[in-house]
Amino acid sequence: MDRELLRRLEMLNQLSLTEEEKVSVIGFFERRGADSEVLSGIETSEVERMVHVLPVMTVVREDVVSHPFSRDELQRGAPETDEGYWCVPRVIE
Amino acid sequence: MKLYNAKVECAAPAVVLDDMILTKDLPTTAGSRMLSGYMSLFDAEVISRLAKAGYAVRGKAAVGEFGVDLMGESSVSGAIYKDGALVSAAHEIVLSGEVKAAICLDVNGSVRRASAQSGLVSVKPTYGTVSRFGTIPAACSGECVSVVAASAAECREVLSVINGHDDKDGTSLSEQTCRSALEAGKAPTRVAIIGDFLDGISADVKEKLDLAAASFERSGAVVETISAPELSAARAAWNILMSAETCNNVSRYDGVKFGYRSESFMGLDELYTKSRSEAFGALLKSVIIYGSETLSTENYMKVYDKALRVRRVIVEKLSKIFESYDLVLTPATSEMKYTKEAIEACPDMAFTENLYTAPASISGFPAVVAGGVMLMGGTFSEGKLLTAAELIEGEGR
Repeated sequence: MDRELLRRLEMLNQLSLTEEEKVSVIGFFERRGADSEVLSGIETSEVERMVHVLPVMTVVREDVVSHPFSRDELQRGAPETDEGYWCVPRVIE
Repeated sequence: MKLYNAKVECAAPAVVLDDMILTKDLPTTAGSRMLSGYMSLFDAEVISRLAKAGYAVRGKAAVGEFGVDLMGESSVSGAIYKDGALVSAAHEIVLSGEVKAAICLDVNGSVRRASAQSGLVSVKPTYGTVSRFGTIPAACSGECVSVVAASAAECREVLSVINGHDDKDGTSLSEQTCRSALEAGKAPTRVAIIGDFLDGISADVKEKLDLAAASFERSGAVVETISAPELSAARAAWNILMSAETCNNVSRYDGVKFGYRSESFMGLDELYTKSRSEAFGALLKSVIIYGSETLSTENYMKVYDKALRVRRVIVEKLSKIFESYDLVLTPATSEMKYTKEAIEACPDMAFTENLYTAPASISGFPAVVAGGVMLMGGTFSEGKLLTAAELIEGEGR
């Protein structure tokens, strides 16, 4: 982990770290380096990947129109709304 | 000492929920400034089941940010120390006698660690037997709704209420399969101790293991120490999978539709960045950045894909062990208490201390903590593990 890679990862994750946090993240990566070494010591060339430990099904509902929540309810936790719309900064000049 | 994030007066029997479980009438924060004051539009499925069975919700217990830490130390409301040792809010509330049980989301083993150190009993059921509908997602492929109580009998009673198929959860197993996990079964006749987990534990943890092993032997079981070095790799694989999944799951928090929004920003990008940077804590930021790096083009096959394959190695190894043994006896922690000094010296201690909890997290196998130690069994064996826990639950107090 170097500063340039960290800067790229901050940008990708929409985070801006303080200097103290950067040191903390770099330390975290250094300690996780051992994790990669442990894994590389295990032979898996003939092993299938396991994404889910048990079968997973797609949840479907009846194909009918419904409105479980009103617009007001959905916007109750919004940081800022205006006449039923979520407010964000202008994106088109 | 702030144990509750929200509390109401209610008649017994009552339960406390950790703050990863959505409640319609009480705020749910996931221990994060990002969700400070957040009110869900619906209750989690486990709450509906508890209400139908006559249980009331006493309140919401403080939890570490998105449940990835050691035992709540990364909570926005601050770590809770008692007599110099870190404690879990939900477990302290159970110990106070105010509730019959705590319902907690076990993401990275914090629930089991706190149970071992507090002398309480907890059960992390087989993945898919308790609905996760209405829990805040962090590491979805391994996290489970768990029960904490003063005794194995109370754990069994509450687990039987929340266990069962739920159409709303895509990982929920059939009703018949779920209910089969509750069968009490007989006391164990063959118990394995994982020798690879004994090197780094303190003398008092070793004493708890010896006491549990002696209890099983007195009840007629054969206790043997076996070697299973593959299980030590569960920690490395789980750290990678958990971080990648958590990174994806918290990407939804951007300060637009709900949650925290920074007070000052210039443009949309800065709104996202400042909101997330101001709201998330240091440990979660490390997890997000590490998780995204494991999913990068350069690392996907080498790191993330490798961890998925190692998950299968772990599952196959455990399945093999359970062909010969009824259960595995392991530590849940390396120490019987975590001091403030130790946590400050290593803020991501959860990612090393999960050596013991990661095998059950990554495999979906059930685990029960009692008497200060952990019991693991094959899929759908939690009922039998609770029967075994009755033999040792007094040992940890």
